[in-house]
Amino acid sequence: MTAPKPRVLVPSAAAKGEVIRVKTIISHQMETGLRHDAQGQVIPRKIINRFVCRYAGVVVFSMDLHEAISANPFIEFYLRATESGRLEFIWEEDGGGGYQLEHQLAVA
Amino acid sequence: MSLTRRDMLMAACVGSAALASAFPSPGSARAQDDTAQDDTIDLIERLTGQTPTLSDRLHLVMPAVFPTGYTVPMDLDIDSPMTADDHVRRIRVFAPQNPLIEVASFNFVPQRSIARVSTRIRLAKPQYVVAVAEMNDGMLLMTKTFVDVATNGCI
Repeated sequence: MTAPKPRVLVPSAAAKGEVIRVKTIISHQMETGLRHDAQGQVIPRKIINRFVCRYAGVVVFSMDLHEAISANPFIEFYLRATESGRLEFIWEEDGGGGYQLEHQLAVA
Repeated sequence: MSLTRRDMLMAACVGSAALASAFPSPGSARAQDDTAQDDTIDLIERLTGQTPTLSDRLHLVMPAVFPTGYTVPMDLDIDSPMTADDHVRRIRVFAPQNPLIEVASFNFVPQRSIARVSTRIRLAKPQYVVAVAEMNDGMLLMTKTFVDVATNGCI
């Protein structure tokens, strides 16, 4: 399995008050913990369990993911462009790991 | 007492009738679900400790039929101005027939995010998918959509 790779698609500029669409995806197995390997042993659960989006340091959207979210979780959501600032995207994995991306948004 | 041919036939008939009632045909699953509207509400009451209200402000858009249970698209949109005194705090999504019924929960922030989200989910069998929105005044609004999947996506 290759290392999970997060990707986001966000506009770089927006008008003040405009609603922008944010598309995110991360390549990840999302192992449910319900499967068994060839020896009959349970394959331990390893999923992305939380996703957070911060905008200029403030949490503006978050999601708790459970086993029923598909592999390579895709999340699309909408934000209101209020100020120029940094968007931070954080994916938290079972076992304490995490993945992160940043994006600069210019608001005119 | 020796068993007659008639006794044997009677026993076979009773046995197969019992089997048929124990394993209803898959086609009847939806009909049963329709009459079991209250079951969904009971389930949400058990999970949240609150009685949800069916609402048409929630739009849970999913394909009616989908070939695979691994990646079923789900669009969720709630009619809400998202102002400080009228907004959606959280939406929880459940798949009651999955081995683990909780699917996801989405947290929104008034004036910063819009109560609209899309993702892809796994479904084990054809079933109603339920969305419950927790409003800022504590009200629970609910909607559900039937999705027919051809294969099990939860193995």
